[in-house]
Amino acid sequence: MTEREAGPMKGFKKLLFGVAMLIAALVVAACGSEGGIEGGKDEGEVPVAKAEGEPSGTVKIANWPFYIDRKTVPEFERETGIKVQYVEEVNDNNDFLAKVQPQLQRGESGGRDIMIVTDWMANRMRELGYLQDFDEEAIAPAKANLVPQLASPAFDPERKFSLPWQSGMTGLVVNKAKAPDVTSINDLFDPKYKGRVEMLNEMRDTVPLVMMADGVRPEDATEEDWMNTIEKIREAAESGQIRKFTGNDYTRDLANGDAVAVIGWSGDAVQLQADNPDIQFVMPDEGCTLWSDNMVIPVGAPNPTAAYAWMNYVYDPENQAQIADYNYYFTPVKGTKEVLERMGSDAAKSELVFPTEEYTANCSTQDEPPGGPEVVRKVEQAWQDVITGA
Amino acid sequence: MSTVRRRLVPYFLMGPGLVWLILFFVVPLYFMGRLALESGTLATGFEFTWEFANFTDSFDRFDEQFVRSFVYAGVATVIALLIAYPLAYAIAFRGGRWKNALLLAVVAPFFTTYLIRTIAWTTILSDDSVIVDVLKAVGLLGDEGRLLATPTAVIAGLVYNFLPFMVLPIYSSLERIDVRLIEAAKDLYASARVAFWKVTLPLSMPGVVAGTLLTFIPAAGDYVNAFFLGSINQSMIGNRIQSLYLMELDYPTAAALSFILMAAILAVVVVYIRFAGAEALMGDEGEQRA
Repeated sequence: MTEREAGPMKGFKKLLFGVAMLIAALVVAACGSEGGIEGGKDEGEVPVAKAEGEPSGTVKIANWPFYIDRKTVPEFERETGIKVQYVEEVNDNNDFLAKVQPQLQRGESGGRDIMIVTDWMANRMRELGYLQDFDEEAIAPAKANLVPQLASPAFDPERKFSLPWQSGMTGLVVNKAKAPDVTSINDLFDPKYKGRVEMLNEMRDTVPLVMMADGVRPEDATEEDWMNTIEKIREAAESGQIRKFTGNDYTRDLANGDAVAVIGWSGDAVQLQADNPDIQFVMPDEGCTLWSDNMVIPVGAPNPTAAYAWMNYVYDPENQAQIADYNYYFTPVKGTKEVLERMGSDAAKSELVFPTEEYTANCSTQDEPPGGPEVVRKVEQAWQDVITGA
Repeated sequence: MSTVRRRLVPYFLMGPGLVWLILFFVVPLYFMGRLALESGTLATGFEFTWEFANFTDSFDRFDEQFVRSFVYAGVATVIALLIAYPLAYAIAFRGGRWKNALLLAVVAPFFTTYLIRTIAWTTILSDDSVIVDVLKAVGLLGDEGRLLATPTAVIAGLVYNFLPFMVLPIYSSLERIDVRLIEAAKDLYASARVAFWKVTLPLSMPGVVAGTLLTFIPAAGDYVNAFFLGSINQSMIGNRIQSLYLMELDYPTAAALSFILMAAILAVVVVYIRFAGAEALMGDEGEQRA
């Protein structure tokens, strides 16, 4: 095949072949497009995930990383005979929604029986029609052990579709040796710390705190308050005062010494402290924001019965103590403190795992910007523009 | 072999490549094009409405990142070329029996994944690192200076991560040069410098053009380096596409932005190839066909 073929035949064939391929591609595309990206909520009744008979089979749980100790899952499996598929696939609420949304839109859960998402995302998923309500009877044992502070959040006052996995506080995480005088969110704007402070890229963590430092309570904030606060953060970011907006990776920058004071999460501070005692969680003078990551049951969950068995299991204080002792977040289960004391765990003494009413007095629960989805979208866009530098 | 079969053979040979290209390039491209012209939000659902405003709006909003991406990618390509050419030259002509070992040394760091290598640089360049201390001591950095979260760090990251894509093509085209041509130039009284400019460099142009393209194209769309080594004031267009898609869940704008990026890169590449000459990219074969 060294000499080239010439003549009109070749060109014609080539054309024919090209057309055939193009048609094939379009057919493939057209068939595929039915499953395209579409949102939209289904009006009407929210389905209830009914428990049926004795729990058995497999339960698939989608959770965040570093959120459970090594023993709880195998012990649950041994005790109940249910097999657990525990997947650490949630790193960011929006990211996770983007990943599961095409399946949920088709009414499938991708085999997941329980997903763990933050308050506002649980709310949003419910609005999109992606979640089922709990079977009240099946979940009663777990709900009986829920601590009162977390029993009626604004987005789900009766806990009909969400149950906290762990809760936490967003406040200051500070390297006390390098920034001893940081006690308020306003101190992050002090030129002394230029280029060595960081904030979280989760809007609902960072913006309300900065707002509180300016004297606006997030509960009463207007759209304008949100926008003004975002503008203030933008100026600080563009001037180089704020070094970066981060997720969990602020822990690395604190450990490296690139950052000396950041907006961060209570549980991380404890884990960082193990390596560097100078790093501490500081309750800001203005207060903190409280949030929960909640267990929810998606539409199409194959085994809700086993999902309830799991929820009831982790809401037993004996079992919960083991998890709390590992992750040091604010535990949502009554009676855990007593178990931890008996175990002689330091977690029992921690204000972060068992905050007193006085400690969290000024804290506000995390919320959305007011005014419905259009406003939320606008504010979110402004925020994304700030944290990605547009 | 019959003529029919002979004619069909090339298509069979192209088959796997074509199928791959259609499944993983043409079809996704079609979806992305459709998506780029949709309007709506995740909550209300996206609808196909020939929304051309997605293109104009996204360009207006993100022009700064576009310019920055191309500047960073351009600077990184030039620096990579300045590092890679002498390196490839030394390996090809002076490597001797160490040639393979030296090439391995160029490629070896890349047995580790891209992400880990980039994250490693955050430790190497961090504010308390030895490098920063030394630069401060010799006065190259002010007392308040830093490397991480600056354009320098992002460009250095791009150069580092794409260097092998520059070295290997240049090496392979230098390696193929018949040394007798250079000897002939010298026999004709060309100095070493003239011989290099008139013989070696032109013959190595295919490698240079391929290398610069292989560096520039991925560097312009990169977001990993800007994410780990930069701050928001160094964000590139890739960072914006990523956050539009995964954080804001604004799929149409993300798709439109991806298209604009593709078109812009294509335009730059076309102009560059025109300027450098197609024969430079394809070597002798290109010249014969032209």
